[in-house]
Amino acid sequence: MLTGNLLWVLVGTILLGVAAGLNGTFSFLQKQSLVGDAAAHAALPGIALAYLVFETKELPILMIGAAITSGLSVYMIQWIVNQSKLKADAAIALVLSVSFGIGIVLISIVNQSTAGNQSGLNDFIFGKAATMAKSDLIWLSGSALLIILMCLLFFKEWKLMIFDPVFAKGIGLPVERLRTLLTALTVLTIVTGIQAVGVILMAAMLIIPAAAARYWSSHLGIILVTSAFFGALSGAFGTMVSSLRIGLSTGPIIVLVAATLFLLSFFFAPTRGLLSKLRKKKEFKQRRVAQEAMSHE
Amino acid sequence: MNALQIKNLSVAYEDKIVLKDVNISIPVGSLTGIIGPNGAGKSTLIKAILNQLPNKTGTVHILDRPLNPKDLIVGYVPQRNAVDWDFPTNALDVVLMGRYGHIGLMKKPPAKDKQIALDCLKNVGMEAFADRSIGQLSGGQQQRVFLARALAQEAEIYFMDEPFVGVDAATERTIISILKDLKAQGKTVFVVHHDLQTAGDYFDWMILLNKTITAYGPTKQTFTQENLQQAYGGKLFFMDQAKSNDNLVGER
Amino acid sequence: MKKMFILFITAILLVGCSSKTEEKSGKPLVVTTTGQIADAVKEIAGDNVEVKSLMGPGVDPHLYKATQGDLQTLEQADTIFYNGLALEGKMSDIFEKMKKEKTVSAIGEVVPADRILSDPMNPKLADPHIWFDIDVWKIAVAEITKTLIEEYPDNKDEYKKNEKAYFDKLDELSNWADTRINEIPEQQRVLVTAHDAFSYFGNSHGMEVRGLQGLSTNSEYGLKDVQNIVDFLADENIKAVFIESSVSEKAMNAVIQGAKEKGHTIQVGGELFSDAMGAEGTEEGTYIGMYKHNVNTIVDSLK
Repeated sequence: MLTGNLLWVLVGTILLGVAAGLNGTFSFLQKQSLVGDAAAHAALPGIALAYLVFETKELPILMIGAAITSGLSVYMIQWIVNQSKLKADAAIALVLSVSFGIGIVLISIVNQSTAGNQSGLNDFIFGKAATMAKSDLIWLSGSALLIILMCLLFFKEWKLMIFDPVFAKGIGLPVERLRTLLTALTVLTIVTGIQAVGVILMAAMLIIPAAAARYWSSHLGIILVTSAFFGALSGAFGTMVSSLRIGLSTGPIIVLVAATLFLLSFFFAPTRGLLSKLRKKKEFKQRRVAQEAMSHE
Repeated sequence: MNALQIKNLSVAYEDKIVLKDVNISIPVGSLTGIIGPNGAGKSTLIKAILNQLPNKTGTVHILDRPLNPKDLIVGYVPQRNAVDWDFPTNALDVVLMGRYGHIGLMKKPPAKDKQIALDCLKNVGMEAFADRSIGQLSGGQQQRVFLARALAQEAEIYFMDEPFVGVDAATERTIISILKDLKAQGKTVFVVHHDLQTAGDYFDWMILLNKTITAYGPTKQTFTQENLQQAYGGKLFFMDQAKSNDNLVGER
Repeated sequence: MKKMFILFITAILLVGCSSKTEEKSGKPLVVTTTGQIADAVKEIAGDNVEVKSLMGPGVDPHLYKATQGDLQTLEQADTIFYNGLALEGKMSDIFEKMKKEKTVSAIGEVVPADRILSDPMNPKLADPHIWFDIDVWKIAVAEITKTLIEEYPDNKDEYKKNEKAYFDKLDELSNWADTRINEIPEQQRVLVTAHDAFSYFGNSHGMEVRGLQGLSTNSEYGLKDVQNIVDFLADENIKAVFIESSVSEKAMNAVIQGAKEKGHTIQVGGELFSDAMGAEGTEEGTYIGMYKHNVNTIVDSLK
C-alpha cells in the first residue's frame, strides 16, 4: 500500500534523486564530480562537531554543521591547488580522506560518551532512508524546490560559466558569485541527501544520473531533465525494491539502480550508446564495400 | 579618441618578465594586427588588456575609459582551444551566449536576441549548422561560430586571438570579409596574427611585439624589413620581388 | 642530532612503559564490560575489590570498540568478567588475548543451553541479553561468585553470604515485577522496542516482544522492517512503544508517525535501559534500580 512510511521514503528519495541529478549535471560538466565526493565525506566531521558542541541531535543544527565543513572542504581543495604543487586529484584525495578520518574519530568519541549512541550519528555514514518521516520531507522538498528554481533561473549563466568562463567574465557575468552559488547548492543537496544514502554513497548520486544522461542528448536542457529523471527513477525504484524484504537498506539499492541505468544508457542509448556506434560502424563499412564494388565495374 | 591606449604595461609571471613597458595608442576604426614570434607575449597582451591577468602594472584605457565589462563595448574571439568542444550545446546556442550581456541575468533569451544570433550565424555562413552540436564541427566551422558569437555582442572594439590558425580557405575568406565589414561600420579590431605573408594585406595598423614593443603604427611605416628583423631577432629571410613592394617573408 | 634522537626514543619508551607502574590501590582490580556485570561484582565482593566497567551509561556494547585506555585497564586487571554470547561483538580478540595472562570469564556462556533463547532470525545464534531474565541472570552471577572465590579464597564466606543476600533481593524484584506486569490488560502485554533486547524479559514475565532491529544494533534494517512494525502496532492496537537509552530514536519516531498515518495514535511510552544502565550514583545506575525503572515505565504506559 502506497501510504505512510513507504510513501514518505518514496517521495523523499525521488526529491533527493531530482536534486542530485540536476546538481550533479553541472558538477559533471565542470569535470568536478570528485569534488562533490570530497564535500560529501567532509560533511561527517561537521555533523559530529555540531553534536559535540551544541549537545543536541536536532536535525537542523546537525545539518548546518555538515554544510559548514562540506563547504569548507571545497575551498580547501582550491586553496591547496593554488598554494602548493599538488594537482586537483591529489588535493581532492587529501581533503576527502583527512576530513572523513576526522569525522570517524569524532563519531567514536561521541559513541564513548553517555547518550552518545542515542545520537544516531552512525546513520549518516551509510544513510538510513527507512527512518524518513513526514517531518523530514519538509526539508527535502524545500531543498529540492530551491535547487530546481535556481537551475531554471541561472541555466544560461551556468551554461556559459562552465563552457567559457573567460568570455563570461568578459561580458560582465559575476562568475565568482555564480560559482559560489552552484557550490552552495551542491552542499545543500549533499546535506539533505546524506540522510538517505549516507556520505559514502552521496557522490554516486551526484555522478551517476548525470553521466548516464549524457548518453541521451547533446542539448544541455535535455540532459538536465534526463539526469533529474534518472535520479528520481533510482530513488523510486530503489525504495520499492528495498521494501520487498526485511533487512534491506534503501541507500545502497538506490545506487545500484542508478548504476544499472548507467549501464543501460552506455549500451543502448540511440546514437551515443555502444551498440548504436558499433552498428553505425558496420553499416559504414558495408557501404564502403558496396561503393568499392561499384567503382570496379 | 583612442580605441586603445596603454601606458607602461608590464606583466610578470613567476619572476619571468613576459611583457615590459608597453606604451601604445591606437585610433578608433583601425584594423590592427599584433605580430611577433612565438612566446612574444601576444596572447598575454590581449589577456592583459581584457583584465584577465592579476599581476600587471600600468594602465589600459579602452575608448578613453578603463575596461568595464558591463559597458559591453568589447567583443572577444578567443583561441579555439580555450574551450572544450565536447560541451553539450549547438552552434546557435554558443552564438546566443554573445547576447547574454544584453539579455541580463536570470532572463530567458527573447526571440529578438535569438534572431540576432541567427543573423550572425548567417554572416559567417553557418546558418545551416545552427542546431549542429559543436563537437561535430570542423576547426574552421568552430572558428566561425566563435566569430559569430563576438559579432552578436554588438561591440565597438573586437579582440581576436589567432583566428586564422588551422582554418580552411572558406573560413579564411569569411573572416577577412567580416573584418572588412567591421571596419566599414567604424568598429576597431585587434587581431593576433601568426602569418607574416598575409599580415601586410589584412591590417592597416600593426603592433610588432617581442616582450616589448618593437614598433607600432600604420602598416606602411611599421611593417618594414628593419622592424621585422628586430622583432624576430634576425630569424627572418626575405625574398624581394623586383616588381613590387610586396615582400615574401618567412620565419627561419 | 643523534643525541636528540636517542633522547627522544628513550622518552617515548619511558612514557610507554610507565603506565605499567601506576600506583595500585592494593586491592585486586576486577574489570567488567557492562554496568550490569559490574553491579553484580560490587554486590558480591563488596569493598574487597576495586571494580571498573568499560561501558558506561548510554554505551552500546554491540558496537563498542575498545580504546587504548580500555586496553590499559584490561592489562592492569586481575580478573575480567564479560557477558559473552557475542554481546561485546567487537571485542572477542581482546578477550582471547587476555585469557592467556589472567582469569577471563564469560559469565553468559555458563548458562545451560536450554535456558538460552536463540535469535529468531537465525536459530544458530544465541540472544545475549540474559540479564533481563532474573533467574537466568542468577546463574550467570553465580559464576561470578564461583570465580571470585577461586581467585580470592580467603573471602569465601563473605562472598557466599553476599550472594545469598543479593539473590534474595533479586527474587523479591522478580516477584514484584510479575505482579506489576499483571496490571497490564492481557492484550496490551506487548513490548515494542528499538532492537530485540527484551526477549528474556518477555519470556520471564509473560509479554510478547517485538524489536525493530534484530538482536544486535549492528544488524541492518530497512523499510520493510519499519512497515512490519507499523502494521503490527496498528493491527494489535498497541498503546505505546519504547525507545532505548543507547539507540537512536529516529527509527521509532518514524514508526510512530507511520502508525499515526494509519489512524492509530501511539505514544512513546518512555525510555528503557536495554544494553546499558543509568548514570552512576543514581538509582537507575544499579541493576535493581534499572530493572525497576523499566518495569514501571512499561506498566505505566501500557495499563
